[in-house]
Amino acid sequence: MTIATQTKDSALETLLDDIPRQIESLRLARETFLTDAVLLGEIPSPTFGEGDRIRLVVDRFRENGLEEPTIDEFGNANGIIPGSSGESAILVAAHADSVFSAETRHVLEVGSDHITGPGIADNSIGLAAVVALPKLLDHLNIRFKNDLILLANVKSLGRANLEGARGFLDTVRRPIHAGVCVEGATQGRLSYSGLGALRGEITLNIPKDYDWSSFGAAGAISHINRLINQLMEIPLPKEPKSKMTFGGLTAGSSFNTSPKTGRLRFEITSEGDEVIDDLENRLNEICEQFSLETGTEVKMETVAKRQNCGIPFSHPLVKATRLIMDKAGITPKVDPSTGDLNALIRAGHPGVTLGLTTVENLREENETIQLEPLFAGLAQLITLLQAIDGGLCEE
Amino acid sequence: MSDEEKNSWLEKNTFHHGEFWDILKLVEEKEKKGLTISLCIPTLNEEKTIGKEVLILRSELMERYPLVDEFAVIDSGSQDKTLEVAGNYGADTYLASDILPEVGDKRGKGENLWKAIHQLKGDIICYVDADITNIHPRFVYGLVAPLIKRDEVQYVKAFYDRPLNYSSGLRPSGGGRVTEILTRPLFSLFYPELTNVIQPLSGEYAARREVLEIIPFPIGYGVETSHLLDLYHKFGIEAFAQTDLDRRVHRNQTTTALGKMSFGILQTFINRLHAQGKINQIPDMETFYRRFEVEDGAYRQIVQEVVEEERPPMIEIEGYRTHRASLSS
Repeated sequence: MTIATQTKDSALETLLDDIPRQIESLRLARETFLTDAVLLGEIPSPTFGEGDRIRLVVDRFRENGLEEPTIDEFGNANGIIPGSSGESAILVAAHADSVFSAETRHVLEVGSDHITGPGIADNSIGLAAVVALPKLLDHLNIRFKNDLILLANVKSLGRANLEGARGFLDTVRRPIHAGVCVEGATQGRLSYSGLGALRGEITLNIPKDYDWSSFGAAGAISHINRLINQLMEIPLPKEPKSKMTFGGLTAGSSFNTSPKTGRLRFEITSEGDEVIDDLENRLNEICEQFSLETGTEVKMETVAKRQNCGIPFSHPLVKATRLIMDKAGITPKVDPSTGDLNALIRAGHPGVTLGLTTVENLREENETIQLEPLFAGLAQLITLLQAIDGGLCEE
Repeated sequence: MSDEEKNSWLEKNTFHHGEFWDILKLVEEKEKKGLTISLCIPTLNEEKTIGKEVLILRSELMERYPLVDEFAVIDSGSQDKTLEVAGNYGADTYLASDILPEVGDKRGKGENLWKAIHQLKGDIICYVDADITNIHPRFVYGLVAPLIKRDEVQYVKAFYDRPLNYSSGLRPSGGGRVTEILTRPLFSLFYPELTNVIQPLSGEYAARREVLEIIPFPIGYGVETSHLLDLYHKFGIEAFAQTDLDRRVHRNQTTTALGKMSFGILQTFINRLHAQGKINQIPDMETFYRRFEVEDGAYRQIVQEVVEEERPPMIEIEGYRTHRASLSS
């Protein structure tokens, strides 16, 4: 063991020893970030419609002491907590969009030990942690050498394909040391790799000249059902690990009329990029063949496609994160990300995604976060930022 | 008051909360004038909404900006976790029955508002209902700001954007069903100046202690109406101001509940008309509210007693006078 390594280990030990104090101290600042979570969470913020929530983020950044928070050309809000040296920066990001539409009633209920409402876990509480970070650091009397870039990124989910985070990272002019993506769900989450993924939508239309008298004639629902059966017969390799998920199906609106159109949304994730390419080709072929055999119009659109990326398990950033989680009483669960971490790592920056608290009914309107685990969840985030700042997470 | 004067009052004394967005400036003005502000939320079984109200109002208006000096929840004996949740987020919690026990305990929102005058210390008391689901700091700073900025204003009433139905640029602006069907017609008949108050029954208002302690408080539905009538009688329309707080989302009341509420308001109203010599020779009023229900095709009359009991002006209570004297000494 070199002297430099010994010094780093000792510095990390010092940070780890401070975690219990941080957890206790953060309890006293509870209202700071819970208020932000509620105020932000009650503003609808569907992907591509985050403008109102982002304006509040900028206001809160300003109120929390950031000097010149801005909204960039992609719609992201960002601001900087200046470090003492300011030579490089650490990125702390949380996505500001939500799976809930603007029509959903965004009313949160605050109980003694929980908050319930649409999007509180994914990702109002994660966003609030980033927004309140300047206040929390003040409260803990923590200063950084590096600048902290706080980012509330838009257009992260679904069709948006990480557009906001990618746009920011493509254009940011400061050297970024490392990054941490903050999610409300779920405490223990440790993502250090971005999983290769393909998201697509298959649209099936019954043409006007469709021969309803022919053998096998049917409406869109029946056809999509048959198509799904064919897709499910595609063998998926065990190695590299691969998965196909059907995440959405829409067709029809009545009891007795066969619909003419149907849509199927799916996601393929795989640890092998070649598997994703191969499956994309197979799906296109199946759709084409199905179209010709049934006289329907079947089109597959690739909505988003990402390649595998990541840092190794042995990377000091991952190692430090695991030690911090352990000290904070959090059991790590390795979970490859399909979210913003993908954009961060592909832009060449080491990074991890952390979850803040325990969650029930994720992505349902009665999504609920528990408040007690939040203090350890925030302490792990802040301690990890300190470790990065101290150069303890570098190879 | 001529139409011109009415318009002038509307123009001069009607605000929008957006005018007071700079809370820090309000805090400076409040401190300069040596004012203290107490916030009171009257509750009865409000565990679903009270946590959020206390969290947001306390965090924003006491910790981030020290506009409010005291934050109390005064409860009528909730059976749920209202007080536990409110206390958890830092509100001072009281049972109305524990305040001024020597005057007894009556059940009703007005009782909690009245006892708040005794319990709270502020020069200005701001009352906010507990059932607001879209709570925001504007519900408080929008109401106390005119009192901080304008010494002649004694009582500030909230009004909200309640679009009824509109298809062009002209949008009717008004209150809820009871306001439009009962209160506004009555005001138009007997107190035309008070028709300038856009939502006379709104549950959010702020006032100076000096005026709250000299008026009686109906403990039930008539409390908002009596405040307007009594203060108008004493000080005229210039004592009032009103602030547009934009949208307020709350529980919708059934028509039956509104009927009962209207019955209580009417009692208060007619009592004032009589006391102020606007009508004479009225017989003793019934206190039974009667309505109908249909069950299996048969009509049945439901009779409920609704008595608009009143608390006297707080200044007449000896315990209060002693308490205030001890505070000032």
